[in-house]
Amino acid sequence: MSDAVADKVISTLAQVKRIPAETIKLDTNLQEMGIDSLDVFTLLFELENAFKISIPDDDVRSIKTVNDIVDGIKKLLAAAPPDASVGSASPAN
Amino acid sequence: MAARRVAITGLGIISPLGLNVAETWAALREGRSGIGPIKSVDGSKWGLKIQNGAEVRGFDPLKHFTGGKDAQLDRFAQFSVVAAREAFRDSEIQLTPALRESSAIVCGSAVGGQASIEAGFEDLWVQGRGRVHPLTIPKTMANAGASHISMDLGLSGPVYTISTACSSANHAMGQAFRLVRDGQADLAVTGGSEAIFTVGMLKAWEAMRVISPDTCRPFSKDRKGMILGEGGAMLILEPFDAAKARGAKIYAEICGFGMTSDAHHLTQPTVDGPARAMRGALTEAGLAAEAIGYINAHGTGTPGNDPVESRAIREVFGAHADKIGVSSTKSMHGHALGAAGALEAVATVMALHHGILPPTANYNERDPECDLDYIPNQPRAVQVEAALSNSFAFGGLNAVIAFRTARS
Repeated sequence: MSDAVADKVISTLAQVKRIPAETIKLDTNLQEMGIDSLDVFTLLFELENAFKISIPDDDVRSIKTVNDIVDGIKKLLAAAPPDASVGSASPAN
Repeated sequence: MAARRVAITGLGIISPLGLNVAETWAALREGRSGIGPIKSVDGSKWGLKIQNGAEVRGFDPLKHFTGGKDAQLDRFAQFSVVAAREAFRDSEIQLTPALRESSAIVCGSAVGGQASIEAGFEDLWVQGRGRVHPLTIPKTMANAGASHISMDLGLSGPVYTISTACSSANHAMGQAFRLVRDGQADLAVTGGSEAIFTVGMLKAWEAMRVISPDTCRPFSKDRKGMILGEGGAMLILEPFDAAKARGAKIYAEICGFGMTSDAHHLTQPTVDGPARAMRGALTEAGLAAEAIGYINAHGTGTPGNDPVESRAIREVFGAHADKIGVSSTKSMHGHALGAAGALEAVATVMALHHGILPPTANYNERDPECDLDYIPNQPRAVQVEAALSNSFAFGGLNAVIAFRTARS
């Protein structure tokens, strides 16, 4: 089943970790795949830009799997329209 | 503990002349310059006048960092880690738990990861975005290079960064030398790194009116200024006896370090400050002035530096100054600021190791104000006993390192 939010989360995660998207599943545990706190910060930054949302710090602490991120983003999108003030910044390499 | 002799047992470098020691030395010994049109920065929109630089070409971070780590390191820190890995491999040293804990890392950098915070400022103020990349702070911090080396190689003794503009790497290597000599560390990774090719930093240098419009011609009468460079270089230092006991290849020894300040002017050098730093290095090394056969000069190619440095050398060495080969390898690898001393240490150590003095490239015309032997354009095959490497910084900070060939 196609899920645009899940697809975007997975493709962004793949880009951040420089790994193929096919290796990432919804139930993949972030810690087990070697995602550390710095990777999470970068991932959330990219996702905030992609979905034009602002993810509160409190929501971040409970993230364990890819699906936790997808669910969280869906809730934020349902609760409020996209935050137009958030631009589409790219990481400063 | 009695002072220990300090051996250099590993070298690593990423420079505008090549991505490792072999490539870089091949260019240095041939007098081949890495200066050319700047390709990594397009400053046309901002009227950037600086056209030429000495950029590191063909460096692919993805070949060195996996799992997205490349994006966690500013370019300057990537240079630090990759150069340190090469030096460490070259040394072939085997780490023990005790040695890891008594290993020091001392790095120099003038501006650290300022390219990363500049990118963040561009996001905020040019692109009008409401946020900057979340790793801007740890990428920008000047100690990032040293810290990443520590994590990468698993070395957990003293780790710090010294920032003294263009003398940073020499101050760092001098400190590391003393840590090993005095028994405070049994291994040291030391050098410097810099990555300054951004619109903002080039515009800042442009405003100082010290950049040459074409190339870098140190000590030549027609010199017009410096050429900015980038890169990183690291040395592995060990107690000489320990290196010998494990059968290590010893390139040369660091035997002395001199540091002084001018207490005079932000950008105008003096004769006295650099002269005292050279004397200090000789004294600490226990070397007679006559033992020095080569000086890798600070030699920026600016109208101001070169005559003053030449006078300082003459003041220290007197008549012997005419017997010393003096070259500025900045004519080939550009001025890499806080990494300059480290790039030049590799050049100096390889000169001692191979018995070939690298030349001053792009030299056209004798300047009466610069009356020494600058090894113009052609390398010289001569085995010298000892050498100095000079670094003098804005702010009047002078740091000179003395090297000598490894004796048994």
